[in-house]
Amino acid sequence: MEDRRGPWFLLTGLILGAALGLLYSWVLSPVKYVDTAPLSLRADFKDTYRKVIAAAYASSKDIGRARARLALLDDSDPAQALAAQAQRILAEGGSSADARSLALLAGGLGQRPASSETPAPSQKPSLLPLTPTPSPTLTATASPTLTVTPLFTITPSPTAGLTQLLPSATPTRPTPTLTVTSATRVRVTPLPTQPSLTPTLTPGLPFVLKERSKVCDASRLDPLLEVQLNDAAGNPVPGIEIRISWTNGEDHFFTGFKPEVNPGYADFLMTPDTTYNLQIQDGGAPVSGITTVVCTQPDGQTYPGGWYLKFSQP
Amino acid sequence: MSRRLWFILAILAGLGLGLLYGWVINPVKYVNTSPDSLHPDYKTDYILMTAEAFRTEGDPALAARRLAFLGATPPVEMVQQAVVYAGQAKYATADIELLIRLAQALQSWTPGVTPGSP
Repeated sequence: MEDRRGPWFLLTGLILGAALGLLYSWVLSPVKYVDTAPLSLRADFKDTYRKVIAAAYASSKDIGRARARLALLDDSDPAQALAAQAQRILAEGGSSADARSLALLAGGLGQRPASSETPAPSQKPSLLPLTPTPSPTLTATASPTLTVTPLFTITPSPTAGLTQLLPSATPTRPTPTLTVTSATRVRVTPLPTQPSLTPTLTPGLPFVLKERSKVCDASRLDPLLEVQLNDAAGNPVPGIEIRISWTNGEDHFFTGFKPEVNPGYADFLMTPDTTYNLQIQDGGAPVSGITTVVCTQPDGQTYPGGWYLKFSQP
Repeated sequence: MSRRLWFILAILAGLGLGLLYGWVINPVKYVNTSPDSLHPDYKTDYILMTAEAFRTEGDPALAARRLAFLGATPPVEMVQQAVVYAGQAKYATADIELLIRLAQALQSWTPGVTPGSP
Protein backbone atom coordinates (compact mmCIF):
# COMPACT_ATOMS: atom_id res chain seq x y z
CA MET A 1 0.00 0.00 0.00
CA GLU A 2 2.65 2.43 1.07
CA ASP A 3 4.98 1.46 -1.74
CA ARG A 4 2.37 2.42 -4.34
CA ARG A 5 2.38 6.00 -3.15
CA GLY A 6 6.06 6.27 -4.02
CA PRO A 7 8.51 8.95 -2.87
CA TRP A 8 6.39 11.97 -3.95
CA PHE A 9 5.87 12.93 -0.32
CA LEU A 10 9.54 13.85 -0.20
CA LEU A 11 9.14 16.30 -3.07
CA THR A 12 6.02 17.74 -1.43
CA GLY A 13 7.95 18.25 1.79
CA LEU A 14 10.84 19.82 -0.06
CA ILE A 15 8.59 22.30 -1.87
CA LEU A 16 6.68 23.11 1.30
CA GLY A 17 9.95 23.72 3.15
CA ALA A 18 11.34 25.87 0.34
CA ALA A 19 8.18 27.94 0.30
CA LEU A 20 8.44 28.46 4.05
CA GLY A 21 12.11 29.37 3.66
CA LEU A 22 11.37 31.97 0.99
CA LEU A 23 8.47 33.35 3.01
CA TYR A 24 10.80 33.84 5.94
CA SER A 25 13.80 35.19 3.98
CA TRP A 26 11.89 37.48 1.61
CA VAL A 27 8.91 38.59 3.68
CA LEU A 28 9.24 37.91 7.39
CA SER A 29 12.95 38.59 7.77
CA PRO A 30 14.45 39.89 4.55
CA VAL A 31 18.05 41.04 4.31
CA LYS A 32 18.08 44.51 5.83
CA TYR A 33 20.32 47.25 4.48
CA VAL A 34 20.57 49.69 7.32
CA ASP A 35 24.10 50.89 6.68
CA THR A 36 24.02 51.56 2.99
CA ALA A 37 26.56 53.40 0.88
CA PRO A 38 25.81 56.47 -1.26
CA LEU A 39 26.13 54.46 -4.45
CA SER A 40 22.86 52.65 -3.68
CA LEU A 41 20.93 55.91 -3.32
CA ARG A 42 18.08 56.69 -5.66
CA ALA A 43 19.08 58.86 -8.61
CA ASP A 44 17.49 62.05 -7.28
CA PHE A 45 19.14 61.54 -3.89
CA LYS A 46 22.45 61.09 -5.65
CA ASP A 47 21.86 64.45 -7.35
CA THR A 48 21.35 66.08 -3.97
CA TYR A 49 24.45 64.36 -2.60
CA ARG A 50 26.45 65.60 -5.60
CA LYS A 51 25.22 69.16 -5.07
CA VAL A 52 26.37 69.14 -1.46
CA ILE A 53 29.75 67.72 -2.46
CA ALA A 54 30.06 70.60 -4.92
CA ALA A 55 28.97 73.17 -2.33
CA ALA A 56 31.56 71.84 0.11
CA TYR A 57 34.22 71.97 -2.59
CA ALA A 58 33.27 75.54 -3.47
CA SER A 59 34.05 76.41 0.14
CA SER A 60 37.09 74.26 0.85
CA LYS A 61 38.66 73.96 -2.64
CA ASP A 62 39.86 70.54 -1.51
CA ILE A 63 39.77 68.61 -4.78
CA GLY A 64 41.18 65.44 -3.23
CA ARG A 65 38.39 65.24 -0.72
CA ALA A 66 35.74 66.11 -3.33
CA ARG A 67 37.12 63.43 -5.63
CA ALA A 68 36.98 60.82 -2.86
CA ARG A 69 33.42 61.79 -2.04
CA LEU A 70 32.34 61.61 -5.65
CA ALA A 71 33.88 58.15 -5.88
CA LEU A 72 31.29 57.02 -3.33
CA LEU A 73 28.57 57.63 -5.90
CA ASP A 74 30.30 55.32 -8.37
CA ASP A 75 29.60 57.48 -11.42
CA SER A 76 31.44 56.17 -14.45
CA ASP A 77 32.63 59.70 -15.24
CA PRO A 78 32.18 62.00 -12.23
CA ALA A 79 33.07 65.16 -14.13
CA GLN A 80 30.53 64.40 -16.82
CA ALA A 81 27.91 63.56 -14.21
CA LEU A 82 28.50 66.93 -12.54
CA ALA A 83 28.42 68.81 -15.83
CA ALA A 84 25.28 67.04 -16.97
CA GLN A 85 23.56 67.79 -13.66
CA ALA A 86 24.55 71.45 -13.89
CA GLN A 87 23.13 71.68 -17.37
CA ARG A 88 19.93 69.97 -16.25
CA ILE A 89 19.57 72.48 -13.42
CA LEU A 90 19.98 75.40 -15.81
CA ALA A 91 17.60 73.86 -18.34
CA GLU A 92 14.97 73.39 -15.64
CA GLY A 93 15.42 76.92 -14.36
CA GLY A 94 16.97 75.74 -11.10
CA SER A 95 19.44 77.41 -8.80
CA SER A 96 22.19 79.21 -10.63
CA ALA A 97 24.41 78.90 -7.55
CA ASP A 98 24.04 75.13 -7.59
CA ALA A 99 24.87 74.98 -11.29
CA ARG A 100 27.87 77.19 -10.72
CA SER A 101 29.29 75.08 -7.90
CA LEU A 102 28.73 71.89 -9.89
CA ALA A 103 30.52 73.41 -12.89
CA LEU A 104 33.30 74.61 -10.61
CA LEU A 105 33.84 71.10 -9.28
CA ALA A 106 33.56 69.54 -12.75
CA GLY A 107 36.21 71.96 -13.89
CA GLY A 108 38.28 71.27 -10.79
CA LEU A 109 38.28 67.56 -11.58
CA GLY A 110 39.60 68.28 -15.03
CA GLN A 111 42.08 70.90 -13.87
CA ARG A 112 45.44 70.49 -15.56
CA PRO A 113 48.79 71.70 -14.36
CA ALA A 114 49.66 75.18 -15.40
CA SER A 115 51.18 75.42 -18.83
CA SER A 116 52.53 78.16 -20.97
CA GLU A 117 49.94 77.56 -23.62
CA THR A 118 46.26 77.09 -23.00
CA PRO A 119 45.00 73.87 -24.54
CA ALA A 120 42.89 74.35 -27.59
CA PRO A 121 39.19 74.06 -27.07
CA SER A 122 38.59 71.72 -29.96
CA GLN A 123 40.81 68.92 -28.81
CA LYS A 124 39.30 65.51 -28.64
CA PRO A 125 39.03 64.09 -25.13
CA SER A 126 41.35 61.23 -25.97
CA LEU A 127 44.13 63.69 -26.67
CA LEU A 128 43.86 65.37 -23.31
CA PRO A 129 45.49 63.46 -20.49
CA LEU A 130 43.38 64.56 -17.59
CA THR A 131 45.27 64.94 -14.40
CA PRO A 132 46.03 64.31 -11.20
CA THR A 133 44.65 64.14 -7.85
CA PRO A 134 46.94 65.23 -5.14
CA SER A 135 47.03 62.83 -2.23
CA PRO A 136 44.74 64.33 0.35
CA THR A 137 46.31 64.64 3.74
CA LEU A 138 44.13 65.35 6.69
CA THR A 139 46.19 65.71 9.75
CA ALA A 140 45.72 67.42 13.02
CA THR A 141 48.73 68.31 15.04
CA ALA A 142 47.15 69.77 18.09
CA SER A 143 44.76 68.19 20.50
CA PRO A 144 42.65 71.04 21.79
CA THR A 145 39.52 70.77 23.81
CA LEU A 146 36.63 72.11 21.82
CA THR A 147 33.65 73.32 23.75
CA VAL A 148 30.17 74.10 22.65
CA THR A 149 28.07 75.90 25.15
CA PRO A 150 25.67 74.62 26.25
CA LEU A 151 25.56 71.62 23.98
CA PHE A 152 28.52 69.44 24.83
CA THR A 153 32.24 69.19 25.28
CA ILE A 154 34.43 67.05 23.16
CA THR A 155 38.10 66.28 23.05
CA PRO A 156 39.18 65.15 19.62
CA SER A 157 42.10 62.89 19.05
CA PRO A 158 45.08 64.33 17.21
CA THR A 159 45.19 61.64 14.58
CA ALA A 160 43.88 62.04 11.10
CA GLY A 161 40.26 61.46 10.33
CA LEU A 162 38.23 60.50 7.32
CA THR A 163 41.03 58.37 6.04
CA GLN A 164 38.66 55.57 5.25
CA LEU A 165 36.89 57.86 2.84
CA LEU A 166 39.88 59.39 1.21
CA PRO A 167 41.97 57.04 -0.84
CA SER A 168 45.32 58.29 -1.93
CA ALA A 169 45.81 58.94 -5.58
CA THR A 170 48.92 58.91 -7.61
CA PRO A 171 49.40 61.99 -9.75
CA THR A 172 50.23 61.23 -13.32
CA ARG A 173 52.23 63.58 -15.43
CA PRO A 174 50.52 64.59 -18.61
CA THR A 175 52.42 63.95 -21.77
CA PRO A 176 52.97 66.63 -24.38
CA THR A 177 50.41 66.62 -27.12
CA LEU A 178 50.39 68.10 -30.57
CA THR A 179 46.90 68.70 -31.74
CA VAL A 180 45.53 69.96 -35.02
CA THR A 181 42.26 71.53 -34.09
CA SER A 182 41.06 72.86 -37.39
CA ALA A 183 42.22 73.74 -40.82
CA THR A 184 43.45 77.08 -39.61
CA ARG A 185 44.81 76.54 -36.10
CA VAL A 186 47.54 74.36 -34.74
CA ARG A 187 48.34 74.34 -31.05
CA VAL A 188 50.94 72.63 -28.98
CA THR A 189 50.36 71.65 -25.40
CA PRO A 190 53.77 71.49 -23.85
CA LEU A 191 54.79 69.41 -20.90
CA PRO A 192 54.10 71.40 -17.79
CA THR A 193 56.95 72.07 -15.48
CA GLN A 194 55.26 73.61 -12.47
CA PRO A 195 52.08 71.74 -11.61
CA SER A 196 49.49 74.02 -10.11
CA LEU A 197 46.04 72.64 -9.56
CA THR A 198 44.38 75.75 -8.21
CA PRO A 199 43.50 78.59 -10.56
CA THR A 200 44.60 81.90 -9.17
CA LEU A 201 41.38 83.68 -9.96
CA THR A 202 41.31 87.22 -8.70
CA PRO A 203 37.71 88.00 -7.80
CA GLY A 204 36.46 91.27 -9.12
CA LEU A 205 38.99 91.62 -11.89
CA PRO A 206 37.22 91.68 -15.25
CA PHE A 207 38.03 89.22 -17.98
CA VAL A 208 39.53 90.87 -21.03
CA LEU A 209 39.14 89.53 -24.56
CA LYS A 210 42.61 88.46 -25.66
CA GLU A 211 41.92 86.50 -28.77
CA ARG A 212 39.08 86.28 -31.24
CA SER A 213 39.55 83.83 -34.07
CA LYS A 214 37.37 82.10 -36.62
CA VAL A 215 37.01 78.37 -36.34
CA CYS A 216 36.58 76.50 -39.59
CA ASP A 217 36.23 72.79 -38.94
CA ALA A 218 34.51 70.85 -41.68
CA SER A 219 34.19 67.81 -39.43
CA ARG A 220 31.64 69.64 -37.33
CA LEU A 221 28.03 69.69 -38.33
CA ASP A 222 27.20 72.85 -36.40
CA PRO A 223 29.21 76.00 -35.71
CA LEU A 224 30.22 76.60 -32.11
CA LEU A 225 30.96 79.74 -30.16
CA GLU A 226 33.87 78.55 -28.03
CA VAL A 227 34.89 80.51 -24.96
CA GLN A 228 38.05 80.04 -22.94
CA LEU A 229 38.56 81.83 -19.63
CA ASN A 230 41.97 82.00 -17.99
CA ASP A 231 43.19 83.73 -14.89
CA ALA A 232 46.12 86.11 -14.87
CA ALA A 233 48.55 83.19 -14.56
CA GLY A 234 47.11 81.49 -17.61
CA ASN A 235 45.25 78.79 -15.71
CA PRO A 236 41.77 77.89 -16.96
CA VAL A 237 38.98 79.09 -14.67
CA PRO A 238 35.88 76.91 -14.19
CA GLY A 239 32.53 77.96 -12.74
CA ILE A 240 32.27 81.36 -14.41
CA GLU A 241 28.83 82.26 -15.73
CA ILE A 242 28.54 83.44 -19.32
CA ARG A 243 25.41 85.11 -20.62
CA ILE A 244 24.65 85.08 -24.31
CA SER A 245 21.78 86.95 -25.87
CA TRP A 246 20.29 87.35 -29.30
CA THR A 247 17.27 89.10 -30.75
CA ASN A 248 14.65 86.73 -29.41
CA GLY A 249 16.31 85.10 -26.53
CA GLU A 250 18.98 84.65 -23.93
CA ASP A 251 20.87 81.75 -22.45
CA HIS A 252 23.52 81.29 -19.85
CA PHE A 253 26.06 78.61 -19.11
CA PHE A 254 29.24 78.07 -17.13
CA THR A 255 32.82 77.25 -17.87
CA GLY A 256 33.65 73.78 -16.60
CA PHE A 257 30.71 72.04 -18.24
CA LYS A 258 33.15 70.24 -20.52
CA PRO A 259 36.06 69.39 -18.27
CA GLU A 260 37.19 66.73 -20.71
CA VAL A 261 38.07 69.57 -23.08
CA ASN A 262 39.29 72.16 -20.63
CA PRO A 263 38.13 73.33 -17.17
CA GLY A 264 37.92 76.93 -18.37
CA TYR A 265 36.16 76.07 -21.57
CA ALA A 266 32.53 76.51 -22.55
CA ASP A 267 30.76 76.47 -25.87
CA PHE A 268 27.45 77.42 -27.35
CA LEU A 269 25.80 76.12 -30.50
CA MET A 270 25.30 78.98 -32.93
CA THR A 271 22.52 79.30 -35.47
CA PRO A 272 23.49 80.83 -38.84
CA ASP A 273 22.10 84.31 -39.53
CA THR A 274 21.70 85.08 -35.85
CA THR A 275 23.71 87.78 -34.12
CA TYR A 276 24.84 87.11 -30.58
CA ASN A 277 26.11 89.25 -27.74
CA LEU A 278 28.25 87.69 -25.05
CA GLN A 279 28.88 88.89 -21.51
CA ILE A 280 31.07 87.34 -18.83
CA GLN A 281 28.99 87.52 -15.68
CA ASP A 282 31.92 88.25 -13.37
CA GLY A 283 32.80 91.40 -15.24
CA GLY A 284 34.36 92.59 -18.45
CA ALA A 285 33.20 94.35 -21.57
CA PRO A 286 30.53 92.57 -23.60
CA VAL A 287 31.39 91.14 -26.98
CA SER A 288 28.72 91.95 -29.50
CA GLY A 289 27.94 91.25 -33.13
CA ILE A 290 28.97 87.59 -33.12
CA THR A 291 27.64 85.69 -36.12
CA THR A 292 28.62 82.50 -37.87
CA VAL A 293 31.30 82.79 -40.52
CA VAL A 294 31.40 81.26 -43.98
CA CYS A 295 34.12 78.67 -44.40
CA THR A 296 35.15 77.04 -47.63
CA GLN A 297 36.30 73.50 -48.18
CA PRO A 298 39.07 72.70 -50.68
CA ASP A 299 36.45 71.58 -53.21
CA GLY A 300 34.78 74.96 -53.00
CA GLN A 301 31.80 73.93 -50.86
CA THR A 302 30.93 76.32 -48.06
CA TYR A 303 29.82 75.56 -44.52
CA PRO A 304 29.16 77.64 -41.39
CA GLY A 305 32.04 78.18 -39.00
CA GLY A 306 32.19 79.44 -35.45
CA TRP A 307 34.32 81.61 -33.21
CA TYR A 308 36.92 81.06 -30.54
CA LEU A 309 37.05 83.76 -27.88
CA LYS A 310 39.79 83.70 -25.30
CA PHE A 311 39.49 85.87 -22.20
CA SER A 312 42.06 86.44 -19.51
CA GLN A 313 42.28 88.43 -16.33
CA PRO A 314 44.86 91.18 -16.56
CA MET B 1 6.83 6.57 11.32
CA SER B 2 9.94 6.58 9.21
CA ARG B 3 7.84 8.03 6.38
CA ARG B 4 6.85 10.98 8.60
CA LEU B 5 10.43 11.44 9.61
CA TRP B 6 11.51 11.61 5.98
CA PHE B 7 8.69 14.07 5.28
CA ILE B 8 9.86 16.32 8.07
CA LEU B 9 13.44 16.04 6.88
CA ALA B 10 12.32 16.99 3.36
CA ILE B 11 10.57 20.07 4.74
CA LEU B 12 13.70 21.04 6.65
CA ALA B 13 15.85 20.53 3.58
CA GLY B 14 13.45 22.67 1.55
CA LEU B 15 13.46 25.29 4.26
CA GLY B 16 17.25 25.33 4.18
CA LEU B 17 17.27 25.67 0.41
CA GLY B 18 14.70 28.46 0.58
CA LEU B 19 16.75 30.38 3.14
CA LEU B 20 19.92 29.81 1.12
CA TYR B 21 18.24 31.18 -1.98
CA GLY B 22 16.54 34.09 -0.21
CA TRP B 23 19.46 35.20 1.92
CA VAL B 24 22.52 34.26 -0.11
CA ILE B 25 21.84 33.45 -3.76
CA ASN B 26 19.13 35.99 -4.48
CA PRO B 27 18.56 38.24 -1.48
CA VAL B 28 16.27 41.24 -1.49
CA LYS B 29 18.18 44.01 -3.27
CA TYR B 30 17.92 47.65 -2.31
CA VAL B 31 19.05 49.71 -5.26
CA ASN B 32 17.04 52.88 -4.64
CA THR B 33 17.70 53.47 -0.99
CA SER B 34 16.92 56.64 0.90
CA PRO B 35 19.52 58.75 2.67
CA ASP B 36 18.29 57.84 6.15
CA SER B 37 19.61 54.31 5.59
CA LEU B 38 23.17 55.52 5.00
CA HIS B 39 25.94 54.22 7.22
CA PRO B 40 26.81 56.68 10.03
CA ASP B 41 30.19 57.25 8.36
CA TYR B 42 28.50 58.62 5.27
CA LYS B 43 25.87 60.52 7.23
CA THR B 44 28.59 62.21 9.25
CA ASP B 45 30.56 63.03 6.14
CA TYR B 46 27.42 64.48 4.55
CA ILE B 47 26.91 66.67 7.61
CA LEU B 48 30.57 67.67 7.42
CA MET B 49 30.05 68.70 3.79
CA THR B 50 27.13 70.83 4.91
CA ALA B 51 29.35 72.38 7.57
CA GLU B 52 32.10 73.06 5.02
CA ALA B 53 29.63 74.82 2.74
CA PHE B 54 28.17 76.70 5.71
CA ARG B 55 31.60 78.13 6.51
CA THR B 56 31.47 80.37 3.44
CA GLU B 57 27.72 80.57 2.82
CA GLY B 58 26.80 81.42 6.43
CA ASP B 59 23.19 80.47 5.79
CA PRO B 60 21.75 78.26 8.55
CA ALA B 61 18.44 77.91 6.71
CA LEU B 62 20.21 76.49 3.69
CA ALA B 63 22.24 74.20 5.93
CA ALA B 64 19.06 72.99 7.64
CA ARG B 65 17.47 72.29 4.26
CA ARG B 66 20.50 70.25 3.27
CA LEU B 67 20.41 68.32 6.53
CA ALA B 68 16.74 67.50 6.02
CA PHE B 69 18.02 65.20 3.28
CA LEU B 70 19.09 62.77 6.00
CA GLY B 71 15.70 62.47 7.64
CA ALA B 72 13.28 64.09 10.01
CA THR B 73 15.63 64.42 12.97
CA PRO B 74 16.02 68.08 14.00
CA PRO B 75 19.12 69.54 12.32
CA VAL B 76 20.77 70.51 15.61
CA GLU B 77 20.47 66.96 16.90
CA MET B 78 21.89 65.61 13.68
CA VAL B 79 24.94 67.83 13.92
CA GLN B 80 25.38 67.03 17.63
CA GLN B 81 25.38 63.32 16.81
CA ALA B 82 27.84 63.99 14.00
CA VAL B 83 30.18 65.81 16.37
CA VAL B 84 30.12 62.90 18.79
CA TYR B 85 30.65 60.39 15.99
CA ALA B 86 33.43 62.48 14.47
CA GLY B 87 35.16 62.62 17.83
CA GLN B 88 34.92 58.84 18.24
CA ALA B 89 36.07 58.23 14.67
CA LYS B 90 39.03 60.56 15.18
CA TYR B 91 38.15 63.11 12.56
CA ALA B 92 40.59 65.96 12.07
CA THR B 93 40.28 68.78 14.58
CA ALA B 94 39.48 71.30 11.88
CA ASP B 95 36.57 69.18 10.70
CA ILE B 96 35.17 68.82 14.19
CA GLU B 97 35.45 72.56 14.65
CA LEU B 98 33.43 73.08 11.50
CA LEU B 99 30.74 70.75 12.80
CA ILE B 100 30.66 72.56 16.12
CA ARG B 101 30.30 75.94 14.41
CA LEU B 102 27.38 74.59 12.42
CA ALA B 103 25.80 73.16 15.58
CA GLN B 104 26.13 76.52 17.30
CA ALA B 105 24.63 78.36 14.34
CA LEU B 106 21.69 75.97 14.13
CA GLN B 107 21.11 76.17 17.84
CA SER B 108 20.61 79.92 17.67
CA TRP B 109 18.69 79.75 14.41
CA THR B 110 14.91 79.69 14.39
CA PRO B 111 13.24 78.23 11.33
CA GLY B 112 11.48 80.88 9.28
CA VAL B 113 13.39 83.74 10.85
CA THR B 114 16.23 85.29 8.95
CA PRO B 115 19.01 86.46 11.25
CA GLY B 116 19.10 90.20 11.35
CA SER B 117 15.59 90.67 10.11
CA PRO B 118 13.26 92.86 12.14
